[in-house]
Amino acid sequence: MLQTKLPQFPKYKVDISLFRDVQNSNELKTKVAELPYAFIDAKTICSREQLLSAVYRALDEVTYNKMRTKSLHSECLLCLSPTSNIGDAFHKFGIKEDSREVICLQLSKVEQHEVPPFHVFVKGIEVAFDDEHLGQFYDKELLRRIYKLDSSSQPQSRESLSRAVVNAIHLRGL
Amino acid sequence: MSEEITGQVRTYVTDNIPITLISQGAEAVVYTTPIHPYLPIDDSTKGEKYIIKYRPHKRYRHPSIDQALTKHRTVGEARLLSKLSQIEGLQVPKLIACDVYNGCLWLEFLGQDLPQGAGFSNLKNFLWMHAANDPYSNVVRETLLKVGHQIGLLHWNNYTHGDLTSSNIVLVRSQIVDGWEPHLIDFGLGSVSSMVEDKGVDLYVLERAIMSTHSEFADKYNAWIIEGFSNVYKLQGKAGQKKLDELLKRFAEVRMRGRKRTMIG
Ligand SMILES: Nc1ncnc2c1ncn2[C@@H]1O[C@H](COP(=O)(O)O)[C@@H](O)[C@H]1O
Repeated sequence: MLQTKLPQFPKYKVDISLFRDVQNSNELKTKVAELPYAFIDAKTICSREQLLSAVYRALDEVTYNKMRTKSLHSECLLCLSPTSNIGDAFHKFGIKEDSREVICLQLSKVEQHEVPPFHVFVKGIEVAFDDEHLGQFYDKELLRRIYKLDSSSQPQSRESLSRAVVNAIHLRGL
Repeated sequence: MSEEITGQVRTYVTDNIPITLISQGAEAVVYTTPIHPYLPIDDSTKGEKYIIKYRPHKRYRHPSIDQALTKHRTVGEARLLSKLSQIEGLQVPKLIACDVYNGCLWLEFLGQDLPQGAGFSNLKNFLWMHAANDPYSNVVRETLLKVGHQIGLLHWNNYTHGDLTSSNIVLVRSQIVDGWEPHLIDFGLGSVSSMVEDKGVDLYVLERAIMSTHSEFADKYNAWIIEGFSNVYKLQGKAGQKKLDELLKRFAEVRMRGRKRTMIG
């Protein structure tokens, strides 16, 4: 599990875990509205910097601009997306009935009371949230489609794909 | 003045992000920091440095106009860097974050200190360093050809830099071979442009920069840059050659105009 804070936003804490061989995605998907987490399909995340730049953008928006959705978690999903349609963002990045690898994210104010750890709900094997594991689970073609990246350009490394995705996240709607 | 600006940035980024001023221009103030805005401190970020480029408020502008302009320019530079990063082979700093509400752009820090106290590894200092012992050495030639190559890629893809001085070309020690990889920085005045005039001016600005600091060796240095530049166009066959001829012709005209101006002035 990665437990971190973004230095510019010390009032918030971020917890992120990555699970593989998740057995109950179906059930988790029905509970997303009640549980205080975001469940993300790991196929759509190629690097730590991708997810964390969306968290950064979300905190930047809620701190200096405005909140567009009902919770910090949906704000993160929106910020992952290259478009400004929240339904679309949930559909693309959220957990699916058949997701095998799932990222759980909790973003909250530091003073907020503790919530149960992810593994209370997720039936799966936790692995380190790092680029090595993300690199095994992500779906390159899916990412290209989601972010509308030019596929004419020759085989791209994960690094350059990640760079293009991070750019898209920071520039959405601007 | 700069104290006040630095105070503003300190307030935005908080005490968790120590900043060091490295440059103050008319439009932007540049800081470095050892703290990444969102990646945790670990092996991938330890010992790294990052750039914060801040566009301060201008008191003489109406606040809402000021905010809109700052946002426009910050986004403009970020968008340009994003487009440029997609060009195969072109080397520009990686965009890390774009905090439009505070006018801060976070970029990858490029370059390092040159050996023997020769300063930061931009093209200007690099040429100074070599001027002392072997001005026409192989490493100088290779590097200048690569500089030309970078500018060629930029222009061939219809972008211009707008302030192409030898300080805005930063050399990064190559990981693979014994040499330097030139990167272009500071796209604050950059734009999408297919106009030969804009490209000719870019080339002229760099030529002047090299003449003013390395006049003895400038002819050869500039010839190497143009050789590297031309190679990019020549690789594009007939169409490339045609565009190259047109561009070099305009470059010569821009230079003539510049000479006349200095003679009169
Ligand atoms: N990405 C970067 N890496 C290293 N140094 C930089 C970078 N961006 C800006 N600088 C330094 O800051 C100065 C002014 O930056 P700029 O305002 O972008 O021209 C440059 O001349 C460099 O010395």
